[in-house]
Parts: sequence; C-alpha cells; structure tokens
Amino acid sequence: MSMLRVVGLSAGYGPVSVLQGIDLEVGEGEFVVMLGANGAGKTTTMRAISGLISRQGLVEVAGDDITKWSPDHIVRAGVAQVPQGRGTFPELSVEDNMLAGAYVRHGGHDVRDDMHKWFEVFPRLGERRHQRAGSLSGGEQQMLAIARALMSRPKLLLCDEPSLGLAPLITQELFGVLERLNRDEGLSVLLVEQNANLAMHIASRVYLLETGNIVASGTSAELSADDSIRKAYLGF
Amino acid sequence: MDFSLLLQRVIDGISQGSVYALIALGLVIIYRGTGHLNFAQGEMALFATYCVYQFGEWGIPVWIALFMGMGVGFVVGAVSEVTLIRPISKKSPFAVFIVTLGLFTFLNWLDGAIWGNQQLPNSGVGSKQQSFPDLFPADPEDQFNFLGASIRYERIGILLLVLVITGLLFLLFNKTKFGLAMRAVASNTESAKLAGIRTNLVLMVSWGLAAAIGAVGGVVMGGLNNSVGLGLMFSIFIYGSAAATLGGFDSPGGAVVGGLAIGLIENLSSGYAQKWIGQELKLAVALAIIVAVLLVKPSGLFGTEKVERV
Repeated sequence: MSMLRVVGLSAGYGPVSVLQGIDLEVGEGEFVVMLGANGAGKTTTMRAISGLISRQGLVEVAGDDITKWSPDHIVRAGVAQVPQGRGTFPELSVEDNMLAGAYVRHGGHDVRDDMHKWFEVFPRLGERRHQRAGSLSGGEQQMLAIARALMSRPKLLLCDEPSLGLAPLITQELFGVLERLNRDEGLSVLLVEQNANLAMHIASRVYLLETGNIVASGTSAELSADDSIRKAYLGF
Repeated sequence: MDFSLLLQRVIDGISQGSVYALIALGLVIIYRGTGHLNFAQGEMALFATYCVYQFGEWGIPVWIALFMGMGVGFVVGAVSEVTLIRPISKKSPFAVFIVTLGLFTFLNWLDGAIWGNQQLPNSGVGSKQQSFPDLFPADPEDQFNFLGASIRYERIGILLLVLVITGLLFLLFNKTKFGLAMRAVASNTESAKLAGIRTNLVLMVSWGLAAAIGAVGGVVMGGLNNSVGLGLMFSIFIYGSAAATLGGFDSPGGAVVGGLAIGLIENLSSGYAQKWIGQELKLAVALAIIVAVLLVKPSGLFGTEKVERV
C-alpha cells in the first residue's frame, strides 16, 4: 500500500488554478523528490496535500481518503509538512516550538524523550533550546522547522524547498539528516526542490512538475539518462 | 508635600487603572491571535455587566452573578468571532474593523432596548437593589487607615482581583497546552495549522476569553460607579486601548502595567494640577504621555519588536 496517493489533484488560489490534475505516489519508506522551476506549482502541491487550500481530486494517506479533511486532522493522520521559508514560531523558544510540534500527541514523557532525541540529531538546537526561534540563523531555523515537524511522529514528511536561501554546506547537512531519517527510521519523504543535483542523489524516484502538470517521472537514473530531460531540467 | 494624600491618590489611581488593565488584557488577547483591534471590547463587557445587574435583581449573590456574567461574555465573544469576524476576515481585514464598530453600536443599542437608557439600579422605579452589586465591602465605613491615608477595602480587593486574573492568564499562556497553542497561533498561524493546532478553536476561545475578562472590568466599574448606564464603558475603552498601546499590544503583562500606569497618571495629574488639568484634560495628559513613550519605544513598553534574523 502506498503512503501517499494523489489522483487528479487540482488546486489554486481563488480564480487562479495552479495544479491541473496531477497524479503522484509515495510508497512506504520511499524518498520521492519533485523537481520544478519557480511557479511550477510545487508549493501549491504541498499546501493542497496538507489541506491548507481547497482542492479537487483524490488524496489518500495510507489508504484513507483525506481529500475533505481539515489540516489538523491530516496532521493526526501522520502527515507533517515543513513549509517553505520559515516554518517556525519566531516569538517562541526553541523548546516551545518543539512542544507545539507535538501538539497532536498525548503523554508528556514520550514527547520529552523525542525532543531530546532530536536535540541529539540537531545539537545546535539543543544548545539554543531556551532562545527565541526568531534569533536563530537561517540554517538553524530550517533545522528547527524539520525537528518541529518530526515531533508529531509523522509517517510521511513533506518538505518544501528546505534548501531555499541556505549555504550549500548547510543544505548538504540537512539532506544528510533527511536521508538518514528515511533509511534508519523508515520515514516516507516527499521533497520539493528547485535545485536538482543534491536531491537527485537521495531520491528513489523523481517527478518533474511544469506549469501545474507532471511532465516526467521515474527513478533518478532513468531521468538522468534521458538527454532531453537532463538538459532541460537538470542542467548537467 | 502631604504624604497621606499622595498615598491616597496612588491607591485610587492603581485601582482605577485595574479596570483599564482588564479591558487592555482583552484587547491584547484578541490582537495577539488575529491582529485585529476589537472596538466592541468595551461594549461586550457592558452587555455582560447589565446581565450581572439583572442577576442581582433576581437575587443571585454577586460572586455567582459575576461568574455567570463572565459566561455570558464568553458566549458573546465566541459567537461574534464565529458568526461575524471569521467569515469576514477571510474576505477583507479592513472590513473586520467596520464590523467591530458595528458590533459596538449594536450591543449598545441592545442594552438600551432591554434595560432602557437611565442609570440602573433605579431603586423605587423597578429596581430591587439599592446600588449596583459590589464585589467587595463598599459601605462608607469599610476602610482602614494606613500612614494617614484612608484606604477602602474595595480598592484593595479590586487590585487583588486583577492580579489574580493576570496570574491565571500567565499560567494559561505559559503552562498549559492550550496556552502554547494560543502563542503558536499568535506567532505563525499557518505553521500552527501544520502542527495540527485547531486554529479556529483557538481564535473562538480567545474572543470568548477576552470578553469574559472584559466582563469583570465592567462589573468592577459598575461597583465603583454604584450604577450601570449606556455610557459606562466609553471612556474606559479609550483608557484601555491606551493602556494596551503603552504596554505593547502583544504583551499581556504590558497591558496590566500600562493600565495601572494610566490610572496613576490620571489620578495624580488631575489631583495635583487640578487648576490646569482637572477632570476634562486628564485623558489628554495620559494620551500625551503615551505618545512620548511610543516615540522612544515604538512597540510599547513590553511589546516585542519584530526583529528576525535573515
């Protein structure tokens, strides 16, 4: 059974339709990357899956039709999203950000244990646990956004361009963490990126999104082998 | 300088300021959640205050009546948010401003339609009560002498009540899961949704809570005035907004400090400079001091400046 199955998904903002009915799938434990240029509809796809905007079509998570569900209900179903830009609560401390991420969970001890676990994965967050999130650097804020999302113990993690505005070295570090989470914890990941090179290396499968339509899909190897696709989208 | 007179004015000012603090607290709770200034804050409180008068007419003890009034306030606030504010703020944030003004006039009209436009209780003409129900002993002899100043129990009681409410709010915001959700919504609504927080519920409760706290302010004011009338909350609302601005619009602690400070300024300036300032200009003096503070500290005394590293 697939973790996420999207069939004929259309969404947009008011009269502007952005997604023209896309299909995509993320298998259990899979790391899927969606590539696309600015304005292709990557963020809209993520927002539609999380229920932040109204959508038509079918969205299934672990076999449940969640198309009509509200965002909080979707989080409870095991889908966490790291939104584009700052996914943190700038006025709250790092620790409160983490606790807010665990809002859908019950039981304090488990939550504390998880927080310490993520502080080990992201030691710089642990050092700054009492600092306001808004005072962290861009890379630290992105790590906090990911850690915050993980606090809900998701089965599927949606990551919207985590590399945006970060130095290449930090991006590499972030992707390394995501890769380990996928490999060691069996977390299914759907990652949206503009910057293809790094993402292609960790992806088990790739979708190419262009003006609201999926124009190509396959394994990283398949897509890199196709000359026209490689030149047009991957730039190498 | 007469020390006992100074002490007297300080205590009167602080207890007067407590009422402003309660209205300011309500404004801050709503502003933090939604960024809206609720012009109807004072009138929501007034409706609940009239209800407390009515409960008194029915012979209900004042403290029980207060809690019932807070319940009425909560419902008025929550229902306003769900039926008016939420659908309209999706369309236009500016329209919300007009809607809260509309709510202000509607509630005032409603009070008049139900309870008439004279001061209540109007004993002998339909009111069983001699005066508006007092939360604390308020007879002329209910006072004690302290360093030459005669201090009324009522004044001390009001101050304690406000401090208890502030303390409870602090615990709610900082020590409970729901408080964490309220702070998260105030900080970043979209991320709050993505964390699974039911933002609609948080906003509804915030409006309810704001109106319930306002209700306490209204009842305290009614007690100090010995009556409730349609204009009871007008100037209180202006002082309350000034208090919230002075303290910082996103800081509950600031709202309380701001309220107490304005009460003090008001009482000291009209008391000591009676000839120039007197009753008519004391509001202007308080506002002028606030403008001076804001010029130095634009986000208010305790407000957070929106500084973020990029």
